[in-house]
Amino acid sequence: MSKKWFSLNFGRNNETPSGSGSCGCGKTSGGCGSHATPDTVDSDGYQMTDEEFAEAAINASIGEETKKDGFDQVFDVKMDRRTAFKKLTASLLIGAGAVSTSCSVVSGDDSKEKAQIDWEEQFKGNYKLMSDDEKSATVDRLMRSYELRTGKNISMSSKNAEEDVLFGYAFNISKCQGYMDCVNACVEENNQDRDSEMQYIRIHEMKDGQGFNFNEADDNYYHEVPAEGHFYMGTQCFHCDNPPCVEVCPVQATWREDDGLVVVDYDWCVGCRYCMAACPYDGRRFNWSKPEVPEAEVNHKQHYLGNRMRKKGVMEKCTFCVQRSRAGKNPACVEACPTGARIFGNLLDPKSTIRWVLENKKVFRLKEDLGTEPKFWYFMD
Amino acid sequence: MKCNRDIMNRIIYGFVFLICCFSCKHGEGKYHGVIEKINAEGENYHGTSISSEKYLDGIDMVEITEGEHTFLIPERKGQIRSYACTECHSKPLSDMHTEGVQKAHWDMKLVHANENAMNCMTCHNPNNMNELKSLTGNDIDFNKSYQLCSQCHSKQFEDWKGGAHGKRIGGWAPPRAAMTCVNCHNPHKPGFESRWPARFNTVTEEERK
Repeated sequence: MSKKWFSLNFGRNNETPSGSGSCGCGKTSGGCGSHATPDTVDSDGYQMTDEEFAEAAINASIGEETKKDGFDQVFDVKMDRRTAFKKLTASLLIGAGAVSTSCSVVSGDDSKEKAQIDWEEQFKGNYKLMSDDEKSATVDRLMRSYELRTGKNISMSSKNAEEDVLFGYAFNISKCQGYMDCVNACVEENNQDRDSEMQYIRIHEMKDGQGFNFNEADDNYYHEVPAEGHFYMGTQCFHCDNPPCVEVCPVQATWREDDGLVVVDYDWCVGCRYCMAACPYDGRRFNWSKPEVPEAEVNHKQHYLGNRMRKKGVMEKCTFCVQRSRAGKNPACVEACPTGARIFGNLLDPKSTIRWVLENKKVFRLKEDLGTEPKFWYFMD
Repeated sequence: MKCNRDIMNRIIYGFVFLICCFSCKHGEGKYHGVIEKINAEGENYHGTSISSEKYLDGIDMVEITEGEHTFLIPERKGQIRSYACTECHSKPLSDMHTEGVQKAHWDMKLVHANENAMNCMTCHNPNNMNELKSLTGNDIDFNKSYQLCSQCHSKQFEDWKGGAHGKRIGGWAPPRAAMTCVNCHNPHKPGFESRWPARFNTVTEEERK
């Protein structure tokens, strides 16, 4: 398993020193940074010293922020006075709010807990750098916070990528009839904003005999399908193996997981939309407004990197339904397709159906010459 | 002068050597493409702990082996409302012929190939309604009706066995379970109907105006 980034191992799993629960942040679940005891073992068993590790991480990765987490990532940064004041004011406002609620005699236990959760969520680190404990801690907080706000329970997973799994997708152009059942299933599964009608999947209606002419194609048709003299093809995030969107992210809020899924940490995204510009396939979507889903329609089976509720001003995209695919299910679009045009599976399993398609059908990918290595193939009967 | 050229040569060779060492994107990944990666990493595939078995609970399945492919398909006989057919078809079809009464299968209309190629008797055996009939007159079990379809649709059959045609049941993870022909296609009218799309994006429509 080759990792594309350096993960911090705070030694929580092997040698947790006793009494590490005391730190300034006043919580025990970890993730604030003060619980950290650097004790890093390289993947091939070579024991690195802390200095060596830090050095390597800085050189190879994102610089200073790799060795920090939580508070440090936010506060321990060189900045000029103006930025510092700006940040301080913002943080003070949040802090004042939190403190006034938590110290208030009038507000109940619930609002105090809510303030505590908001505080910890505000200062948590990047999900990509979190240990498994920190991941489950933030997921617990988000579930509790949802319960406190709405009185409803959700289940949120932080399941990591499984070893020996690399997800791939194949799309049969001759089978797609343009029914758009996949789009419906996707919107419902992934809790997408109903007002802006954001959709990850686009089905393009193309004229026969003109090839893939996306300029002439229509992705918002409404007439009886399949229409005479047309064929249909779907596009969505292709989960490139060499994703340009990941390269351009200035805050590393999006990355490629070990099972090939390109994911976004919605809490780390700053909404600059560089990734949207970098994607050659129009695979990414931006939340211009706060996404709203009627409570009755919310899908309560969620994943941190997948269909949990997003906020205003962050990017989102198809995750091959990470909450489903990591549990062994097919993505919602695959399951909804009535024509069997969509095939999903594990590319590393030589006996999988997706491998049979790649080896026995004439497959191609979109814009292959860009070197993005999409894991989304098209084929015909 | 000669000495200078010597040094120049060395520097150039040195540069070429260095470029050779660092030009490829080392550290970016060991492979040149995702296909190369799949082939290399798939070679020592050990299987995963992820299984889709629990999603098949409560579905009656039969295991079939066709060529090198072994997988599950849904059991069929239990799904046919009026099976076993011999409950009504107790005598040969010619003896059951009556005039003026509403026929039992009045709602069934054959829209499958043309009259020269197919009629009821192409697939059904009037003397043994409980089994299907191959083109050469051999019995085919209702649970393995795909054998009947594959007599003509051999290309689709190949694709279905491999997994390029048809739909999975459960999930992507093993064990592999797939729909059989008649789960998606009505055998008497196998074509897909045209219909209206399930969704229309009114916001995109507004934006285009």
